[in-house]
Amino acid sequence: MSDGRWSALQFLAGAIVMAGAALAPDTAGAAEAPQRVMSLNLCTDQLAMALAAPGQLVSVSFLARDRSISPMWREAQNYPVNHGLAEEVFLEQPDLVLTGTFSQHNTTHLVRKVGIPVEEFDFAMTLETIPGEIRRMGDLLGQQEKAEKLAADFSTSLEAIERRQCEPKPTILAFEQNGVSPGKDTLADSVFRAAGFRNLAAEAGLVGAAPFPLELAIAEEPDVIVVQSHEDDAPTLGAYVPQHPALKHLQSRIDAFLPPGSWACNGPLIIDAVKRLAELRQEIAPCPAEASR
Amino acid sequence: MKPAALNLGLLGLVVLFFLVSLAVGSAGLGITDSITGIIAGGSDVGGIIMREIRLPRAILALAIGFTLGMSGAVLQGFLRNPLAEPGLIGVSGMASLGAVILFYLGLAGNTLYALPAGALLGALIAVALLLALAARSSSTLTLILAGVALSSLAGALTSLVLNLSPNPFASYEIIFWLLGSLKDRSMEHVWLALPLMITGWLLIALSGRTINALSLGEEAAASLGISLPRARAMIVLGVALGVGAATAVAGGIGFVGLVVPHLLRPFTDGVPNRLLLPSGLGGGALLLAADTVCRVVLPAGELNVGVVTALIGAPFFLWLVVRTRREAA
Repeated sequence: MSDGRWSALQFLAGAIVMAGAALAPDTAGAAEAPQRVMSLNLCTDQLAMALAAPGQLVSVSFLARDRSISPMWREAQNYPVNHGLAEEVFLEQPDLVLTGTFSQHNTTHLVRKVGIPVEEFDFAMTLETIPGEIRRMGDLLGQQEKAEKLAADFSTSLEAIERRQCEPKPTILAFEQNGVSPGKDTLADSVFRAAGFRNLAAEAGLVGAAPFPLELAIAEEPDVIVVQSHEDDAPTLGAYVPQHPALKHLQSRIDAFLPPGSWACNGPLIIDAVKRLAELRQEIAPCPAEASR
Repeated sequence: MKPAALNLGLLGLVVLFFLVSLAVGSAGLGITDSITGIIAGGSDVGGIIMREIRLPRAILALAIGFTLGMSGAVLQGFLRNPLAEPGLIGVSGMASLGAVILFYLGLAGNTLYALPAGALLGALIAVALLLALAARSSSTLTLILAGVALSSLAGALTSLVLNLSPNPFASYEIIFWLLGSLKDRSMEHVWLALPLMITGWLLIALSGRTINALSLGEEAAASLGISLPRARAMIVLGVALGVGAATAVAGGIGFVGLVVPHLLRPFTDGVPNRLLLPSGLGGGALLLAADTVCRVVLPAGELNVGVVTALIGAPFFLWLVVRTRREAA
């Protein structure tokens, strides 16, 4: 991802923050917006960083700064980090704690027990739910205007991409560590379908992220194979599987294409992954209308 | 049974299991596709799957099984101890540990060559330690207890190193290093391990005369002009090279070296030397079969091959312990 796009996004986000902050008191009706919010989960981190007013978000999870899983790791450098521990929450005494339903049940339970409000986000694995998540986070943070704009932009971009698609669709396979592929009911599958691809792992009957046999990857010869770019990571044997020499014989386009962690969370940034793959799709199999444009 | 007949029979078994191993996989290729795929070359799908995925896997299963079977036979002969086996006495565990330390901590950079280097070092330390111990006390119990301690320690340290790795995926590989697998290996792995394993086989084969003489007792062996230190060095190096290389590419696979020599000993005339080649072939056949079972039982996820060998080997081990006790009593 280019730095230019990042900074543009940041600028945009900053501009909206100011507008949102000015308008926030008017959007009353509900309770007053919390002034000190703590996010314990990588995915709520992304939503909160995109929407919170300056100073409103007191800390994000340490994972948000990890460039191998967090697409917003640059922004996360501007926030203090927590490690999802109840003790950290007690010390900070925030007005609101944000976390996911997947993890940290014990922490959530403890924090609720001492009377600090906790909001849990359940991340359903489709793109369609994302505008709803953005609006919910906007309500919680008292940033409704900003959330509304972000959610509307998201829906518009997504619909525009989906409207452009045509048959026949090229095939795609995400081949990750140890040959694991996201199949049905994953956010990646939703991203692939929106960008106009057929996800081979889902068609092969994989549900969730599951191992996709290397032999099948060769036999099916997908048009695109998405691997992860992890050059600067500590070594693992699993990272060698997507580099297996057998894959070099295929005609498939094999590349990382996307920054790490692009579909880890259903935050607003996932639309960048959809756009990127939609461009790739038009490049390898242009739709007629698209080609004449 | 005549040695030649036994070896030919086992060779037939190896060839059969090798072909079955080539024919089994998630992409449904027939036997004829498989064979033409290998011979014809070409870049069609069948050819790529055969040459790049199934052939290296079958070669590795054969070579690693051969190494483990032969190492078990030579250790049992040399230590005059029926329970000696690379997995059980901690050689495989220490080889895993060495490989894990060099590879995951990035001490040798992000390269596959760190694996055999580390595994060799670990295996060497383990075999040398055990032989030093065995030289002082010839008790079966001492050796096995030391082996168990070494195995557990190596297993714990392997898990620790993998948990310490900054890469969150590394800890998922604990199961590979403890249970072994041949999944998705490539020709790179074959070239990495095969030369070392062959060198190990040669060293072990050269020490055959020594273990024959040793079956008469150490003094008798010395009076026959056998140099024990030299023989010991050759066996240590041979086993460490073979098991180290095997572990570097397939993780720790247990029990093959234990079961195979025992199964085949009744078919030989009791001369330890004549058990080496049959044990190698038998080990190859067993590991080829076990690896095929892994792919058939759980086609998508795949079992770890160490699970299958342990399912065969552990009950056998118990039976062996009971029998040894009865004989001792």
